[in-house]
Amino acid sequence: MRSVLIRCYPARWRARYGDEFLAILEERPLGPYDVADIVLGALDARLRSRRDRAATPQGRGFTMSLRLGGIAAIVGAAILGFAWFTVFPGAISMEPIVLMAMFVVGLGALLVALTILSAFQARTLPRLVWTAFALAAVGVVAYVVGLLGLIGVTEGAVTSGSAAETAVTVAYAAGGLAAVVGFALFGVATYRSGELSRPGAVLLAAGPALMVGAWLVAFTVAWDLGGLMMLGAVGCFLTGWVVLGIAAIRLDGRKPEARPA
Amino acid sequence: MTARTPEFGRFAEPSLLILVSLSDGPKHGYAIMQDVERGSGRPMGAGTLYAALVRLEDEGLVVPLAPVDRRRPYRLTAIGASMLAEQLRGLTEFAQQGLRQLHELEP
Repeated sequence: MRSVLIRCYPARWRARYGDEFLAILEERPLGPYDVADIVLGALDARLRSRRDRAATPQGRGFTMSLRLGGIAAIVGAAILGFAWFTVFPGAISMEPIVLMAMFVVGLGALLVALTILSAFQARTLPRLVWTAFALAAVGVVAYVVGLLGLIGVTEGAVTSGSAAETAVTVAYAAGGLAAVVGFALFGVATYRSGELSRPGAVLLAAGPALMVGAWLVAFTVAWDLGGLMMLGAVGCFLTGWVVLGIAAIRLDGRKPEARPA
Repeated sequence: MTARTPEFGRFAEPSLLILVSLSDGPKHGYAIMQDVERGSGRPMGAGTLYAALVRLEDEGLVVPLAPVDRRRPYRLTAIGASMLAEQLRGLTEFAQQGLRQLHELEP
């Protein structure tokens, strides 16, 4: 009976007060008043425990978001990885519209992850983190708009040689460049804050840097070598997101070091 | 410097009784319960005792000492003693005011 009553209390409370509490309960027989009093005390301890967790920097509200950020990073990287894989000859054949939708959804998920992980890390490096976030977020949106616009040009929806074509081309190129710089900066900020995963941060920063190198090599040295480098760059980038996502989920699961009640 | 009086809600009275019990020296939980029962004439359940003790410990009004055979004594801190004195003075003034008003009504 006593052990059942003690189990009504939260685990952290039991770890701190369990032994001495049980010693008191063993001092005399328990009546209905004692049982009711202990059940109410356990309820109070659970309510306080929940409130204390919510009050910590890694409180429930925030860590739930952190878990969401981790999941978004992993899901986004997986979708983009799959979409990227289908591009290779001999891989699964997909309708271009489906491929485009996967690309947009994958990038959207990474934007969600970027927002949440930026908010989490902004406590330590606010200027760097928010600069990286702004560049990457605006860059991704401009890049996607530009890409859709260029598809519109090839489909005939946007007039070739028009100002609209110039605008979407600029959005595509400038957006892509801003996104690459933003994600690389986000990797640097993540490494410097040291709150999530430094290996993941290195991969995330190396990916965009390798992408720039791959473009340069492809257009100036050898197309195939550039393509190979791009494969490594995308691999680094997506793996970096997966590693950061796992780190965020693990951090979410870590018990906050709050007071026991 | 006047110490801030913590808000203990429905555990305000048990907290005061515990502080009074600890005012003459450290005691473990069961000894506090017996002391409170002797002093107030009402039993204090273990659930109420620990709900109040946890709050008092969080506010730094009591500190746990090393356990002896699973029984952990608690000691009143300097802040706890100051807070207790302040509360008892407030209660004394309240009681005196009440008694004065009562005497004024008496014929």
